[in-house]
Amino acid sequence: MSGQRVDAKVVMLGKEYVGKTSLVERYVHNRFLVGPYQNTIGAAFVAKVMSVGGRTVTLGIWDTAGSERYEAMSRIYYRGARAAIVCYDLTDSSSFERAKFWVTELQNFEENCRIYLCGTKSDLLEEDRKKRGIDFHDVQDYADEIKAELFETSSKTGQSVDQLFQKVAEDYVQLMAFQVMTEDEGVDLSQKHSTYFYSCCHH
Amino acid sequence: MAADIHKKKGWEGPNGSLVPADGQPTERSESPTPGLAQGMEPGAGQEGAMFVHTRSYEDLTSPEDGDVASRSPEKGRGYQADQTSMEQISKDFSELSTQLMGMALDLEEEMRPSQEDKMDLSLQTARRDSARSEKEDEDVTMEAWRMHQKHVFVLSEAGKPVYSRYGSEEALSSTMGVMMGLVSFLEVEKNAIRSIHADGYKVVFVRRSPLVLVAMARTRQSEQEIAHELLYIYYQILSLLTWTQLNHIFQQKQNYDLRRLLAGSERITDNLLDLMARDPSFLMGAARCLPMAAGLRDAVSTCLQQAKAKSLVFSILLSRNQLVSLVRRKDQFLHPIDLHLLFNLISSSSSFREGEAWTPICLPKFNSSGFFHAHISYLEQDMDLCLLLVSTDHEDFFTVSDCKRRFQERLRKRGMSHALQEALRTPFYSVSQVGIPDLRHFIYKSKSSGLFTSPEIEAPYVSEEEKQRLLELYQYLHSRAHNSSRPLKNIYFTGPSENLLAWVTSAFELYVCYSLLGTKAAAVSAVNKLMKWIRREEDRLFILTPQTY
Repeated sequence: MSGQRVDAKVVMLGKEYVGKTSLVERYVHNRFLVGPYQNTIGAAFVAKVMSVGGRTVTLGIWDTAGSERYEAMSRIYYRGARAAIVCYDLTDSSSFERAKFWVTELQNFEENCRIYLCGTKSDLLEEDRKKRGIDFHDVQDYADEIKAELFETSSKTGQSVDQLFQKVAEDYVQLMAFQVMTEDEGVDLSQKHSTYFYSCCHH
Repeated sequence: MAADIHKKKGWEGPNGSLVPADGQPTERSESPTPGLAQGMEPGAGQEGAMFVHTRSYEDLTSPEDGDVASRSPEKGRGYQADQTSMEQISKDFSELSTQLMGMALDLEEEMRPSQEDKMDLSLQTARRDSARSEKEDEDVTMEAWRMHQKHVFVLSEAGKPVYSRYGSEEALSSTMGVMMGLVSFLEVEKNAIRSIHADGYKVVFVRRSPLVLVAMARTRQSEQEIAHELLYIYYQILSLLTWTQLNHIFQQKQNYDLRRLLAGSERITDNLLDLMARDPSFLMGAARCLPMAAGLRDAVSTCLQQAKAKSLVFSILLSRNQLVSLVRRKDQFLHPIDLHLLFNLISSSSSFREGEAWTPICLPKFNSSGFFHAHISYLEQDMDLCLLLVSTDHEDFFTVSDCKRRFQERLRKRGMSHALQEALRTPFYSVSQVGIPDLRHFIYKSKSSGLFTSPEIEAPYVSEEEKQRLLELYQYLHSRAHNSSRPLKNIYFTGPSENLLAWVTSAFELYVCYSLLGTKAAAVSAVNKLMKWIRREEDRLFILTPQTY
């Protein structure tokens, strides 16, 4: 990994059209682009430097394409990820099913990766409560079950977007602090051998 | 370098060979074309080419794509046979209709080739899919839908819709069933349908198992050219999936709905079709270079060449579908079709403007069985300069990303960013620079380099329709010049609003558009002047020294 130094790899996952790119766009550039839907091709990488408790952390965010076409090679993008933001559209129950698929995938192949469930387009619910496609408590139960954080965001209004990424960064810093205490030689971000240390502090 | 180029003067003096009889729009000249050996023509690279060598347009369509032939054992019968079998088809339509998903249709009525209403597409109510894009909302039962210049359909061999240029695929599923019916019906007879010609329409079929591609066009293109465009669509699909994956899927499940895998790619295919209708690159089977001073281009190429990595195969710098620089690995050549697909991918999406994209892509002409990984990014936010780095290793993102950083750093250090920006400001040159009064426009292709040059389209071709018309005239000339049964080397065409000249040799192709005022003799002598001008400007208009890592 030459060039850009990245502390933590974060991957965006979820069905197409749930708004992963919009979420990244809002967080990184603080804007919301209106216009025809443009699906992501392959994946886009963007690095964002942020500060957590006086420390600088660089998140390397992988915004992946939701299309099924790329599913077979999604591992390229989430391998070694510290955090996965698994998105679903609050108004579309099928996108939640897809989110569950990604969670299973991560649990099987990337146990070191923390999962953040993110319901998107919450502004649509402000307009009309009936639009909610899946019961909040069901999602909360599911999040508890998989030990994931749950957020409901709107890239249009910016609601909870910063909080989500801030939480991702904080959790990372906290984990690193813990690992520094338990592991002398530091951490190799891309290797699996830190599994042991991680699992012992898993809630 | 310029000095020794001018010694190769073989191309001068076309022997006044363009002397068709008056009064006829096109004529074939019997006199031999002057000897200008391939590799010596203006625009030919000094150190070999960048591209896979495609000698002519036919190369792109015929040899490797010959699996059509294997699918139609009696290919020799060809076109004539298609015509006679059409009668047979008409006779047997009632029989056929039972095989077509139980449609209660009088197919004999629908499909009789000489009928005005070839395909009554109002045969079913359009099903709407609310979440899809605008074009999908188009009502396929409306007259407006039927009036489109060119429809393109892709279906699987099971008759399942894969893509439609206009209207939703679902609404067209029975129409596509009919198309597949036609194809398989002739196959039973050990024959293959190529096209149906009726009332200003051409319906062209291209079979690339497991897909069938169909175009219904009202354009003046030849059947061959429409088939060529369909092949591009096929390659576009391969670039997303690879041939191996595509075949694997349909071997597993014949009636697979391929739209699942292609979801979101419709825009890329739509863009490709639009691009083919207005960009002569596809017709020429060549790439256009952004005109810039040779010194600047070489310096940029060197920077690009130095920013290399083990896994890189091609580094391509482009601006609005024009090539700025291309560096390749030694012994690896890019095919123009693959380059066009890359150009199309980039121009069809604004999503590459942000961050760095890292996407799997198959270059079907290079290797249709596997994926490369392409790093795509714009050099600066407001600059139309896109860098494309093609790598063999999908794990190599950060290495490749570093190549980009190094390239940018070199550009900055040598102070070339500004000069590049200047060059981008004038992406086209005016035909008036040539200094031939009656000359309106031209396309010149150097066959050995696979590059072509063409000035900006200016008055009187101002409106989109007029520009389109000019390109259609070139298409017409091109199809006459490359007609497989009767190719022409020299064509002089007097149209109602312009005179055109085409000159095709083993080394180059030249298509010229003159105003109506000039004479044929003047047009012929102007070609000399034009060729001299191109020779003089060649180091600005072409990439003469392609680099390798």
